[in-house]
Amino acid sequence: MLQATKVPDAAQFVGAPQGTPLQGAELATRTVEVAGQLRCPVCQGLSVGDSPSAMAMNMKEQVRELLARGYSRDQILAYFEQSYGEFVLLKPKFRGVNSLVWILPLLALAIGAVLVATKMRRLEQPVPTTAAMDDEYVSRVRQLVEKE
Amino acid sequence: MNRTVLIIGIVIAAAVIALFAMSFGRDPQHIASPLVGRAAPSFALRAVGSGDIVDIAKLRGKPVVLNFWATWCGPCHAEHPVLVQAARALGPDVQFVGVVFSDTEANIASFLRERGEAYPTLLDDNGKTSIAYGVGGVPETFFIDRSGKIVAKYEGPMSGDTLQEYVQKVLR
Repeated sequence: MLQATKVPDAAQFVGAPQGTPLQGAELATRTVEVAGQLRCPVCQGLSVGDSPSAMAMNMKEQVRELLARGYSRDQILAYFEQSYGEFVLLKPKFRGVNSLVWILPLLALAIGAVLVATKMRRLEQPVPTTAAMDDEYVSRVRQLVEKE
Repeated sequence: MNRTVLIIGIVIAAAVIALFAMSFGRDPQHIASPLVGRAAPSFALRAVGSGDIVDIAKLRGKPVVLNFWATWCGPCHAEHPVLVQAARALGPDVQFVGVVFSDTEANIASFLRERGEAYPTLLDDNGKTSIAYGVGGVPETFFIDRSGKIVAKYEGPMSGDTLQEYVQKVLR
């Protein structure tokens, strides 16, 4: 008997499907959604959903097949991540150095807010009168005025 | 106040420089494969020409050099004679296998007729094998040891010396 061809299966990477098999309009919608979260490996900053390349179309077709078999979104993303690494995910995970992508802008915003608040508080403080600083000079002027 | 602003500025600038410094000397195109150190994804694909099915699981016990390539890829043309020569020189000690990446059987068959072949070249089904191996461009070559574990991956065309160096890793 002739042996059949066999391609690598997602089950080797992420086990059995954990979701519900999809079909029809829901399958099409979810395919676009999941493909939009994967980076096209042969493009410059395009998602698998947006790229017209053959590679991206193959990946998108595989996303569709996996959703139709009942694989969940997280399982599909994990499958591609195990092949290509985290690079394939358009939205990096919140961990390690990646977390700086979220933390640094918030930190910069917080530092800026503190600087602005400090500056505003200083501007709102009453300007000290020169009299308080130079009583001797004022009393001398007063004396001269009263004398006249 | 000015002193505080200066210190904050220096800290932020140092952090940004440190982030850039982490990437100095690193090829931005190179992405380490998470498959290295893991079992090679299994497949059984049809060879161009002979039509034989090559099952990677049945190659266990022998080191495998798995090369993804295409006829439209210039660097693959340069690499082809290096691979053919090494496959002939190493004989049955190492199994070389080619996998077609986004190309047609007719193109591959014509190329191999013209330039010679020394090992099976397999047709991928809708690129699924390439995707499972995380191939993002060709040529890319995986070195699989006797136990079926991926020991190394090389991106780009290999010279004879580079190929020898990598083959040694699977012969150990």
